[in-house]
Amino acid sequence: MNPTSSRRTVLGAGLAGVLGAAATGTASATTAAATTAASTTAATTDQTAAAPARRSGQRSMVDVPFTAHETVRIGVIGLGNRGAGMLGGWAAVPGAVVTAVCDIRADRAKAAADRLVRLGKPRPTEYGGSASSYQELVRSSDVDLVYIATPWEFHHEQGKAALLGGKHVGVELPIATELKQLWDLVDTSERTRKHLWLMENCSYGRNELAMLKMAHEGLFGEITNGHGGYLHDLRALLFSDTYYTDAWRRKWHARSIASFYPMHGLAPIAAAMDINRGDRFMTLRATATEPRGLADYRERNIPKTHPSWNEKYINGDLVTCLIGTAKGRILRAEHDVSSPRPYSRINSLAGSRGIFEDYVPVGTTGGRVYLEPDHGGHSWRDFAPYRKEYDHWLWKKIGDDAANNGGHGGMDYVLQWRIVQQMRAGLVPDIDVYDSAAWCAPVPLSVQSLKNDGRPVDVPDFTRGRWAELRLGLDSRETDMPPTS
Amino acid sequence: MKKLAVVVALTAALLVPQVPAAAAEPVEVTISEVDLAGPVIASVDVTVTNKSAARLSKLAVTFAGPVGWTVYPETRTVKDAVKPGESVTVAFQIRVPEQRPGFTIRTFTATAAYSGGEVVGTRTQKSGTPLPNLAAAFNNVAVSNESDPTKGNFDNSGNSFSAQRLAEKDVTPGSTVTALGATFTWPGPVGTKDNAVAAGQTFAYSGKGAKLALLGSGAGYAAAGLVKVWYSDGTSTSGSIGFPNWSFQDAGAHGATLVISTTGRNTPAGYANAEYQYRVFANSIPLDPAKTVELITLPANGGLHVFGVAIA
Repeated sequence: MNPTSSRRTVLGAGLAGVLGAAATGTASATTAAATTAASTTAATTDQTAAAPARRSGQRSMVDVPFTAHETVRIGVIGLGNRGAGMLGGWAAVPGAVVTAVCDIRADRAKAAADRLVRLGKPRPTEYGGSASSYQELVRSSDVDLVYIATPWEFHHEQGKAALLGGKHVGVELPIATELKQLWDLVDTSERTRKHLWLMENCSYGRNELAMLKMAHEGLFGEITNGHGGYLHDLRALLFSDTYYTDAWRRKWHARSIASFYPMHGLAPIAAAMDINRGDRFMTLRATATEPRGLADYRERNIPKTHPSWNEKYINGDLVTCLIGTAKGRILRAEHDVSSPRPYSRINSLAGSRGIFEDYVPVGTTGGRVYLEPDHGGHSWRDFAPYRKEYDHWLWKKIGDDAANNGGHGGMDYVLQWRIVQQMRAGLVPDIDVYDSAAWCAPVPLSVQSLKNDGRPVDVPDFTRGRWAELRLGLDSRETDMPPTS
Repeated sequence: MKKLAVVVALTAALLVPQVPAAAAEPVEVTISEVDLAGPVIASVDVTVTNKSAARLSKLAVTFAGPVGWTVYPETRTVKDAVKPGESVTVAFQIRVPEQRPGFTIRTFTATAAYSGGEVVGTRTQKSGTPLPNLAAAFNNVAVSNESDPTKGNFDNSGNSFSAQRLAEKDVTPGSTVTALGATFTWPGPVGTKDNAVAAGQTFAYSGKGAKLALLGSGAGYAAAGLVKVWYSDGTSTSGSIGFPNWSFQDAGAHGATLVISTTGRNTPAGYANAEYQYRVFANSIPLDPAKTVELITLPANGGLHVFGVAIA
């Protein structure tokens, strides 16, 4: 029997709809089990973990494409290390133009504008001089995309203002630090019909994207666990008097116990598990070591006259989040920026048929694999041939440009190029507000769990029930950048 | 959320008397073609047709693709019984990865479980061109000269068969080896890729006979898996096959037959371990002698090494 013809010829659309109600789908048995387990084991449930009701007329942004823009006009808020570092990349993407720059320090805005002119680009409008200068930028009529690279404490306020100003918004990590702020950004995105997303450059890392494609091919079998994080010895920079403006980042270590910044390692693992695209975070439990690293470093390296001596550090050196998913998977997300150690985002993914580990001294990629049936003998193999075979189309297409235009091994530029391409071509964003909220939720949830002796806390479903739907994301279909006129 | 349609195809058999379902009822499960041009979220229809005279009740349809491919939902239940002669079609979504270069075989499975029985339907879709022969799948050097032992690496520890000891048994590149009624040609030259570490490779092979025999040996103690044969008429058969460890395992393990036994082996440091035997085996699966073999898919087991295939 031909199922298609039988459906179309025997039944009218109306009847098909009626009968559709006769069947019910279940994502999996483990889903139900995990849901039950999560509900019964979560010792503490923050009130805001439950999805707030949508306002009248508010609709999901799942699978909503951008309205196509012939040219993407970009306004940059925050021109410190990160914002200034991304400026050249934005200006280099075909079809993008930086039309506005803003910093609380007006001289930084001017310097950024001067630099763009030196690059042969049009001079952008400068905003600056006060804490509210960004409000003028988000209201301007010549900006389509606002890129926010200010200290963490300003992200929610500025991101929301940009949405309300009718702009799409890319926000550096994290998009917000409180659960109610995350929900607020989700709701504001849905109400304004504008996208807001985490500027997670590591989601576009070459190893990470190859790992993702291998996961979808099934090379790891049924994925059971993954590990990521941000392990970066920032002590010297944290105590620098010039690197982080007003030492904003170090001050977070004196006022919060949160896992501030695990997203660089968490997001790629979450993508490989199709979080919000077939699975979702259910519970989170956190542990933290004693905060020793910064105080010890200060004792050995910082003069007693330094203002940091007035600070007491309370953020654990290693904060670990264990996140359980609806499909029974486990993610471990680590954060440690105050201990002496080489850099790592861990990047490990494992399943019933194999494992990938990054940041190991093997071969040219830094990655190693062990995959059945290709491998045996209990010995690791070089990741290089797999990365070559599963190289993402973005890296094949613009990898050379990325190496010439972007920092962090080129993944900054790949991220910027892809965002501009999606906006110009009218595509659905690879990373949406729901992904961004889920990846940033460990910041407030780690605090909740740690305050309750590490007991599990529920992770909100920011999609409001649409997490189980299969959707493409970072493992996208190849498309071209629209031609520039 | 997108509605996933469930459609009952009404037939002329609506007036068939309703009787309780029985385990032996004929039920057919078919799967619609899957769009393999990924990355894509593909829609798939599974149709369950009740060809019996009894109603199908408590029907639950489960759909699955290749391992690691996500399906949504994994199971759909059908509230109403399916009457005799009727069909029900349920829809699923599956995440299809980017199509791989080369030859691929993707198998999809749907299971219809109902009161009193369960029926499984499969769909296999091929794409690309298979390897032209077994030699094209060779990816390992199992035999080396004692004068140049580092060329070999049968066991992933740098050890290999000695070409000189094999020659003592009249086994040299191009020579004939017979076992289980089949005739194999020993691969070579020495020191080059001479065997396929089984990784699910599919290669062309034409012939007819009562059984398919494989010549090989095992690295490790679990060198076994499913070998699949595709006939020219589109049907297929499969059977478990395995080889004992090249040393230190019962020669009859996995139902294999000892074919060649050599003394000692080559190690990275030279010929050694003369106190032990290092062996090659044969094993087989039955074929439908009326059908012509077109393709063979090796098992996916990194411990299983294949030197040759032949039909007997």
